[in-house]
Amino acid sequence: MSILYPQNEMLESRERMVLNLYLVTSLVLFLVMMVLGLLMRLAQGAWMDMSPTLFYQVMTAHGAGMVGTAALASSAVMWFFLRKYVPLKTSIFLANYVLFMIGAVLLLVAIFIGKFAGAWTFLYPLPVQSLGVWSVGSAVLFMVGFLIIGVGFLLFYLDAMRGVIRVYGNLGRGLGLQWLFSGTVDPDHPKTVVASTMVIIVNSLGILGGAVVIVMSLINAYDPEIALNALFAKNLIYFFGHVFINITIYMAVIGVYELLPRYTGRRWGMSRPFLWAWAASTLMVMIVYPHHLLMDFAMPRWMAVTGQVISYTSGLPVFTVTAYGALTNIHRSRMRWRIPAMLLILSMFGWAAGIVPAIIDATISVNHVMHNTLWVPGHFHFYLLLGVLPMQFAFMYHLIGRDTDRSVSRSDRLGFWMYLSGGLAFVFMFLAGGHASVPRRWATHFPGWQVYDQVASLSAALVIVALSLFTVRICLGLMHTPSSAEPAPAGD
Amino acid sequence: MMTTSDHMSAPTAVLRTVVLTVGLLLVGVAGLGVATDGFHAFTTETARRVAVHRNPPAVPATVPLVNQDGVHFTLADLQGKWVLVDFVYTRCMTICTVLGADFAQLERELAEPIAQDRIQLLSISFDLARDTPAELASYLTRFRGAGPGWQAAIPLTDDGLARLEDAFGITVIPDKMGGYTHNAAIHLVDPTGRLVDIFDLGQRDQVRAALQRELAS
Amino acid sequence: MTAQMLVQIPLLLMAGILLVPVIPTRLRARAARWDQGGVSGLVLATLAMAFWMLPRSLDASTTDPLVALAKFLTVPLLIGLPLAFSWPRAGFIVRGVFLTEFVATFFRLGWLYRVSPIRLCNNYGLGDQQRLGNYMLWIGGGLLAWLALKLLAGNFKSLSPSSSPGAPG
Ligand code: HEM
Ligand SMILES: [Cu+2]
Repeated sequence: MSILYPQNEMLESRERMVLNLYLVTSLVLFLVMMVLGLLMRLAQGAWMDMSPTLFYQVMTAHGAGMVGTAALASSAVMWFFLRKYVPLKTSIFLANYVLFMIGAVLLLVAIFIGKFAGAWTFLYPLPVQSLGVWSVGSAVLFMVGFLIIGVGFLLFYLDAMRGVIRVYGNLGRGLGLQWLFSGTVDPDHPKTVVASTMVIIVNSLGILGGAVVIVMSLINAYDPEIALNALFAKNLIYFFGHVFINITIYMAVIGVYELLPRYTGRRWGMSRPFLWAWAASTLMVMIVYPHHLLMDFAMPRWMAVTGQVISYTSGLPVFTVTAYGALTNIHRSRMRWRIPAMLLILSMFGWAAGIVPAIIDATISVNHVMHNTLWVPGHFHFYLLLGVLPMQFAFMYHLIGRDTDRSVSRSDRLGFWMYLSGGLAFVFMFLAGGHASVPRRWATHFPGWQVYDQVASLSAALVIVALSLFTVRICLGLMHTPSSAEPAPAGD
Repeated sequence: MMTTSDHMSAPTAVLRTVVLTVGLLLVGVAGLGVATDGFHAFTTETARRVAVHRNPPAVPATVPLVNQDGVHFTLADLQGKWVLVDFVYTRCMTICTVLGADFAQLERELAEPIAQDRIQLLSISFDLARDTPAELASYLTRFRGAGPGWQAAIPLTDDGLARLEDAFGITVIPDKMGGYTHNAAIHLVDPTGRLVDIFDLGQRDQVRAALQRELAS
Repeated sequence: MTAQMLVQIPLLLMAGILLVPVIPTRLRARAARWDQGGVSGLVLATLAMAFWMLPRSLDASTTDPLVALAKFLTVPLLIGLPLAFSWPRAGFIVRGVFLTEFVATFFRLGWLYRVSPIRLCNNYGLGDQQRLGNYMLWIGGGLLAWLALKLLAGNFKSLSPSSSPGAPG
């Protein structure tokens, strides 16, 4: 019997190999990028010497690297569960990985050899007009790297799209739109398919926007006389960036839907509100955002603000049904307190808590108080570090769970609490800095701000140690798990 | 996708397709490279500049022209001087006035070499139907370009105009309101009568710098 | 400019599409062996399209009769024909990549034509260029909306497991 490890989730050896590539690469990249983050905090706290030039290179690498890696790890979660319901091609999954790695190499070369330091959001007109700090060539390389990564993800989404269409007829039926107003909702319609379909739609649009704006920036690099409309370019880049980073949570949350019920031993049924929530989030991104982008080139200020608010609130419906569903699922259940379960609950908390600063930010950014302070990194580190990453780790721990079925080992428990406390302290230092009006993206901080930076450095170090424990544990576990796919005996 | 039709030959077909696609890409990118002068010139206008830099063409020296005072001359008569040439029509209310302002400014800024007879400014009209020496004269006075340093001229024949347009790369299309749409630039002709550089509207500083460099050497 | 890009070239392309049945079946079968999944044909069409999207090429085709002749020959033969030939063989993913790139191109060109302060073609006025830019944005938006609608609510017989896989859809 296999409550935790159903038969249809078994991996063939080729599939396992590709999945392991994703997981091990993600863990290693997360570690490296966190060390880069720590270096930045150390430099801001005056515990380390780093030239501002290098700081901005490191910041660019950290931002681009983290966003890319989060997307990579999340797409592994989506792939693993979605393939139970619709046919997916392992070769496409592998192609995405290969293109990702090629793109990543280009990004690194552009940053550390070409000295590109225009931040991962490469705000136009920064990429090509660097006032001589980096060459046009390295900006071009950076953008081409992004383009290649985008192509990889596009392939992955197209494959998933084909799968969903093949099984469910079209994307609307994958989302369950036919049950929004009438009819009995199929209780077995997989939440994984609903979430994946949303991700496919929204991120394909995001990638399309990215492909347009990146190529336009490339044209601008060749002929600076062709001045792009800066506001429009910026909005398109934000669209692409926001969608790309937000989508990591919608891919990773599939792990919550799939795994949480197994650990609580309770069913988590499909419901009409669930479908409404996902449909609403999809439509908000699909209709409202492009509308804002295309309606007018010179966007009035209020429109930009509305767009900003929508980009935050578009996630609210999904969050609400997920949090509500998770709570009712956990409530009075006989929870198996294992590491995956603990990480899943942490992730729901991180997601919830990360939204609060975002809403505060969205409401007061209108009067420019918190905007562009460390409050903003505070918000997104909260839900990325304590929301998205724990979902991904929960999935990985679950995969190697056959080893850890019986009990939670001491080191795992230690790692978990170190990650939680270090992570919390780390993000609170960002929020506190934001509250004290410390601007974001400053290489050097005034002495009065450095306390925050120093506490944050210590907390970040704690997070890194915890992640190192996770990494060793998961990598060993992945190697031990048999490559052939026999059903593993489950816990009780 | 899961094509079953040519099942037997699928692996070779894949291989062939890969080879052909890579080949097409190589040829295609190389072709685009050639077609854009090595990814430099995507528009005719830039192409014209790249070509001029690479291989300065001789301008038609024998085309008969008449200037604002009714004096007949050819470009050959101007050899020995650096000549700045633009193409206008006097009724133009848009870019030709910008060109005119540029020339007026240049005439003042380059007064010294002009006085030494080393530089000549020349506006050539392509509106053979309407422009006359009198129109040219009033065009010049509009910009206070009264001195001998700046002349305006019209070709006497359609054929002469065509040869000039061809050599300088000027495209003129009649718009529907009796005027013309045309590309505008400042052309630099060296003392031996070759077109050596082309500047955009407003690039006065670059024009002056180039001339000063040439005159100093 | 608008007429050339949005009327003449599409008509030429259509002519190429109509040429497919004229090609002997044997020859087509031969070519198909070099065109797994329609990839080669679509790449060829894309490259040829890229060439005819260069403002320089468009310009030259209105002034130089030789280039014009080249346009009248290559747009049907190197774009329309391979497109129509390879499309039925292209699977979902190949089509998806092609269509994404196609839509993106409309947005890019539309944007470019709208913002370019210089006339990209010497033979056409700035007003014409900007009007074309607007049209292209609308076309891109329309294509995108149509694709989104089709994917969300459309019918994909070819992809359903019952029908023969790989058929055009
Ligand atoms: C221990 C872990 C981490 C540390 C120490 C760290 C540190 C930092 C620091 C110091 C900054 C610059 C803040 C500023 O002054 O503006 C930053 C920015 C950023 N971080 Fe992290 N971070 C960590 C984890 C993460 C994770 C897990 C993600 C995403 C998955 C992430 C994504 C980003 C992004 C997108 C930026 C914005 C870069 C920019 O402004 O262009 N970070 N991080
Ligand atoms: Cu004019």
